[in-house]
Amino acid sequence: MTASVVRPADGSREVALVRVPAFWVVLAVLVAGGLWMARLAGEFFTSYPKATALSLLLFALLAVPFWLFVAELDFFEREPTRLLVLAFAWGGLVATTVSIPGGVALEDLVAKLGSPGLAASWGAALAGPSVEEIAKTLGVVAIVLIARAQVNSVLDGVVYGAMVGLGFQIAEDIVFAVGAVALAGQGDQLQPVIATFLLRGFLGGIWSHTLFSALAGAGIGYLVVSRERGRPHRMGVAVLAVFGAWASHVLWNAPLFVDGLGNGVLALLGVLLIKGLPPLLLILLLVRHAHDREADYYVGRLATLPDPALVTPGELEALRSGSRRASARRLAADRAGRTAAAAVRRLQRAQARLAVELSRADAGSTASWEAAVREQRAVLRQLGHAEAVAGRVSWRHRAETVVTTVVAIAVLWVALSALGGA
Amino acid sequence: MARINRRQLTNLLGALGVVATLGGLAFGLPAIDRSLPAERAVPDGRPYPVGAGVTVVPPRGATVDVTGTRPGDSEGTVLFRLGPVRYAIAVRPFRGDLAAAAERLRKRIVDTTGYQVTSAQLTVGTAGGLAGLQGGYTAPGRGGRYAVFVDGGLTIEVTISGNDLDLGRSLPQIEASTRTLRRTDEPR
Repeated sequence: MTASVVRPADGSREVALVRVPAFWVVLAVLVAGGLWMARLAGEFFTSYPKATALSLLLFALLAVPFWLFVAELDFFEREPTRLLVLAFAWGGLVATTVSIPGGVALEDLVAKLGSPGLAASWGAALAGPSVEEIAKTLGVVAIVLIARAQVNSVLDGVVYGAMVGLGFQIAEDIVFAVGAVALAGQGDQLQPVIATFLLRGFLGGIWSHTLFSALAGAGIGYLVVSRERGRPHRMGVAVLAVFGAWASHVLWNAPLFVDGLGNGVLALLGVLLIKGLPPLLLILLLVRHAHDREADYYVGRLATLPDPALVTPGELEALRSGSRRASARRLAADRAGRTAAAAVRRLQRAQARLAVELSRADAGSTASWEAAVREQRAVLRQLGHAEAVAGRVSWRHRAETVVTTVVAIAVLWVALSALGGA
Repeated sequence: MARINRRQLTNLLGALGVVATLGGLAFGLPAIDRSLPAERAVPDGRPYPVGAGVTVVPPRGATVDVTGTRPGDSEGTVLFRLGPVRYAIAVRPFRGDLAAAAERLRKRIVDTTGYQVTSAQLTVGTAGGLAGLQGGYTAPGRGGRYAVFVDGGLTIEVTISGNDLDLGRSLPQIEASTRTLRRTDEPR
C-alpha cells in the first residue's frame, strides 16, 4: 500500500483554527456571503412569505439525507463537523453569491461576443458551469488552507467537495423555487414550490452539484495527498477533475436531446438518464474506488493486530465496504435483534477509529479505542452474536431495493403530473 | 507582538488568492460585461424573431439589447431600446385564457416594490389577428404600459417603460410595433 492512498494526520501538527490566517479571511468571506444571501432571503420573505418559508423547510429537510450520506462516505476517518458545516456554508453562501452576478455577466458576454440565439441555447450550459464550478472548487481549496491536516485522502476531498456542492444545490433550489412563484404571477402560492421541490430536489437532485463538486474535490484531494508525485502531475490531475466536473455540468445544462425524444413521461426520463447517468456512474465509480482504496489502507492497519477480540478476519472483510458493513448490521439484527445491530455499528466505528489511530505516525495511545472495541465485543457476546461479519446478499433484499426504487419514482411522477410540473 | 512566520504568510497569500479569484468572478466578469456594448442595430421594417415562432417589426430607430434577448424554440424574449425607453416582449408557454394571463402580468408588476397598475384594461389587437389586453402602470420616476396576448398555448407579454416625457414621445411608434406581433408557426 503506497502512502498516496492516505496521508495520515500528524496529531502534533494540528493547529487551532483561530491561529490560521486563512481562517479569518474565509470567515470574512462567509460573513459577506451570508449578508448578501440574508438580504435576498429578506426580499423573498417580503414578497412571498409562505412560499419562501415552505421552500426553506422542504429543501432543508432534503439536505438531511444527503448530508448523512456524504458524511458517512468516509467511514474510517470522519471529517470534523465544523469543517463540514464550513464547506456547506461556502456552497450555500459564498459560491451562490458569487455565481449569481458572475453567471449573468458571462451569459451576457456569450450574447455579446456570439449572438442572443447562442446565449439562449447554450448560455446556461456555458456560463453556469464555468462560474459555479470554480466558485465551488475554491471552497475545497479554502478547507485545505485552513485545515490541511484534515485532508488525508482523495476521499476527504470528495467529502468536502460534495458538501460544498450540497450547500450550493440547496441554496440554488430555494432561489429557483421562489423564482417559480414569482414567474407564476399568482401571488404567494405554494404549488410552484412543491413542483420545484419534486423536480429539482428529486429528479434533478442526485446528479447535480453535489456530484459535480465531489469530482472536483477528488482532484484537490489528490493534489494535496499524493506527495510522491511531481507537482505538474498532481496539478494536471486536479485540473482534469475540475474539468470533468465542468464537463458533467455542461452536459447536464446543454440543450441536447430537448426535442429528440418527444414530450412524454418516458421521453423526459430518457433525457434525464442520457444526460445524467454517464457522469453519475463515472463519478460514483471514482468515489467507490477512492473509498475502497482508503478502506483497504485502514483495514491493512487493523490486520496487523494479533488479537481476534479487536478484529477478526471476517470483520476485516466486512469493514472494506459500506454495503458489507450494512450487511453485517442486518445479519446481527436478524440473529440477535436491533440491540445487536446497534452494537455492531458501535463496534465498527470503534474499529475504524482504532485503525486511524494506528495509522498515525505519533500513534501514542490506542488504548482508549481498544477498550471501546472490547466493550462492544462484550456486548455482542452477551447477545450471542460475537462476530460482526457480513451476511450473504439475499435476493429478497435486492428485490426489495429495486421495488422500493421503482415505487418511489412512480409516486414522484404521479405527484409531479398532478402539480403540472411534468 | 507576535510575528507572522513563513508558513502563515504562505497561508495568508493562498487565502487572498482565493478571495481574488472570487472577486474576479463576482466583480471582474460584470465589469468586462459592462465594458462591452449591448445594443445592436436592427433592420428597419423587417420582422424580428422573439421566440416560439412569434415575430415583431421593431420601431424605426430601435436597437436590440442582446442582454435581454433570448430567442428560443418554445419560448423567448427580446428587449428593444428606443433611446431611453425600454420595450420588452416575452413569449412563454401558458395554460389559461387571456384574462388569467393579464391578471398574472398585472400581479407580477405590482409585486415589484413601488410599482402600481394605473388604469383599467382595454382590448387591443394585432394585424396578425392576435387579441389581447393592455393597460398602464407607474414606477418611481417612470411610467409604463403593458399588453398581453394569448394564442395557442402561448402568452405574449409586452412591457414598455421610461420616463413620462420619453414615453409620450415614443409610445405611438411602439404601439404600432406591437400591432405587428405575429405568430408564424406552432411552437415546438
